[in-house]
Amino acid sequence: MAASHENDSEMDCSDNEDCYEDYNDYYKDEDSDVEHVDPKKTDPEYFEYKCLSEEEVERLLNETVENLSNHLRISLPLAKVLLHSHSWNSIEVIRKYEENPQQTLISARIDPPCPPKNVIFSPTHLTCSVCVTLHHVDRFFHLSCSHMFCKDCWTMHFEVQINQGISTAISCMARDCVVLAPEDFVLKHLQHKTIIREKYQHFTFQDYVKSHPELRFCPGPNCSIIIYSKDIKAKRAFCDQCKTIFCFRCGCDYHAPTDCQVIKKWLTKCADDSETANYISAHTKDCPKCHICIEKNGGCNHMQCYKCKHDFCWMCLGDWKSHGSEYYECSRYRENPNIAHESVHAQAREALKKYLHYYERWENHSKSLKLEEQTLEKLRARINQKVMSGLGTWIDWQYLFTAANLLAKCRYTLQYTYPFAYYMDAGPRKELFEYQQAQLEAEIENLSWKIERAETTDRGDLENQMDIAEKRRTTLLKDFLDV
Amino acid sequence: MAALPRRIIKETQRLMQEPVPGISAVPDDSNARYFHVIVTGPEDSPFEGGLFKLELFLPEDYPMSAPKVRFITKIYHPNIDRLGRICLDILKDKWSPALQIRTVLLSIQALLSAPNPDDPLANDVAELWKVNESEAIRNAKEWTRKYAMDN
Repeated sequence: MAASHENDSEMDCSDNEDCYEDYNDYYKDEDSDVEHVDPKKTDPEYFEYKCLSEEEVERLLNETVENLSNHLRISLPLAKVLLHSHSWNSIEVIRKYEENPQQTLISARIDPPCPPKNVIFSPTHLTCSVCVTLHHVDRFFHLSCSHMFCKDCWTMHFEVQINQGISTAISCMARDCVVLAPEDFVLKHLQHKTIIREKYQHFTFQDYVKSHPELRFCPGPNCSIIIYSKDIKAKRAFCDQCKTIFCFRCGCDYHAPTDCQVIKKWLTKCADDSETANYISAHTKDCPKCHICIEKNGGCNHMQCYKCKHDFCWMCLGDWKSHGSEYYECSRYRENPNIAHESVHAQAREALKKYLHYYERWENHSKSLKLEEQTLEKLRARINQKVMSGLGTWIDWQYLFTAANLLAKCRYTLQYTYPFAYYMDAGPRKELFEYQQAQLEAEIENLSWKIERAETTDRGDLENQMDIAEKRRTTLLKDFLDV
Repeated sequence: MAALPRRIIKETQRLMQEPVPGISAVPDDSNARYFHVIVTGPEDSPFEGGLFKLELFLPEDYPMSAPKVRFITKIYHPNIDRLGRICLDILKDKWSPALQIRTVLLSIQALLSAPNPDDPLANDVAELWKVNESEAIRNAKEWTRKYAMDN
């Protein structure tokens, strides 16, 4: 991977894939009339990635390190530090190193900013400045900065640092010295400390994966899979092992068509505001005269403000005097619902209302997704019963599962269209978006309805509905998914 | 308790034999890792004339980990909070095992001469230090007189 892109593609093509390609060629020759659709162009969510185990990732990283080490003729640990400090971009490292090796090593904290002074005298014994003990010179070690410390002190230093979770960032013990201790130097001093050694290797590996833009840990609980992709985008990654679906770029729940920053903003907002905001919106209004927040705790719409004693109507927020005998229903509200939205205070409430509009839909679809999971369970039980009583085979009923999975996929995207719309500026683009969103919503509800009544729905009709819903979903993503 | 490391013994001896001007650090009778420290307020600083008590504790993994230091005497300083905790880089991420009790205490004394309101621990103090330095200095002198000059 270090030297060129050609190497990369070579590395990617394992034996399996070679076979796969032959397979494709075989079919191309035989059925030349069959049109091959390129998913890269037709599927807006197309994403090429691999699920790798820790060992495979280690091999991949080591290959990168080896290639760089061979190319620049530098030691392996040195190559590793350089790669780690350059987000594993070999090309960048090579360019910088060939331009100015000295500066590259200094800025990667491999070499000290000023070359160390040569020690001319060479005594047989030295006092370690950390433990203040006289040792034979053989027991002393140093990094490129030449700061000498005894073996035991180095070991203790590494142990303390590693126990604090520090690994690739462990530096020399000397005051203000920025030189980093490379892996081989640390490991050499932890020879008989198996536990701490393992801890160190675990932490460095985590650091390497996190600093590598093409790698991402699967966020699934206790999952050790690492997703690898050359396409560093906010695309949907699916873990083979724990089945978690997540965004490759940010590692959070997949969120198309919303982008990583916006979804983060939205989720923070929801976590901060929703409970309180919900309650305030559902149960309170501001007094139209003194703007104090009022909670309605009875059924009567004739309100008297506790603070300023103003009499007003809960429905239209108008003066109660103008209401006369109309007690149970406010006709003014029926004529002009905007009447309540005129004060500045009401504008703030309007903003809250806007947020709640999107939030409620977001929440609602999230709940529907959970309910539909239950529907699927029931469906499974019913199919089981049917098969057992001789009504068709498993295969005959598989299409229902496909439909239920598709429904979940569509509703998931629909859920994530709401934060997208919330942060969108008003204008024709937003109108188009909301139009497509409404279309998608309608088709999803149709599909959900038909799945719930699967036994009475014609299979062809259901499959047709599936097709429509998925088309609407891809159309929306094609127009608005911008990663 | 494990035997006291040579490093701590050596440092303690040197602190006794060649004390740093303006600083006294005496180990506790019952715990050789706990030091009673007195720092005199530096000349030409608002803390001049004050005697500030601190406590210094050497943790189990000293010198691989930094000593824990805290002001006991109340002090009006942007980098020292109400509880006497000190915001000083060498006590945190810039700690190096090559540093010593002596160097730490010197750095604390230097912090009294040169407060750094841009990296504050006590926000209200730092704010005043930035917008109205003369008033902040008045407060610091007042606190020094009130809390650091008795006995």
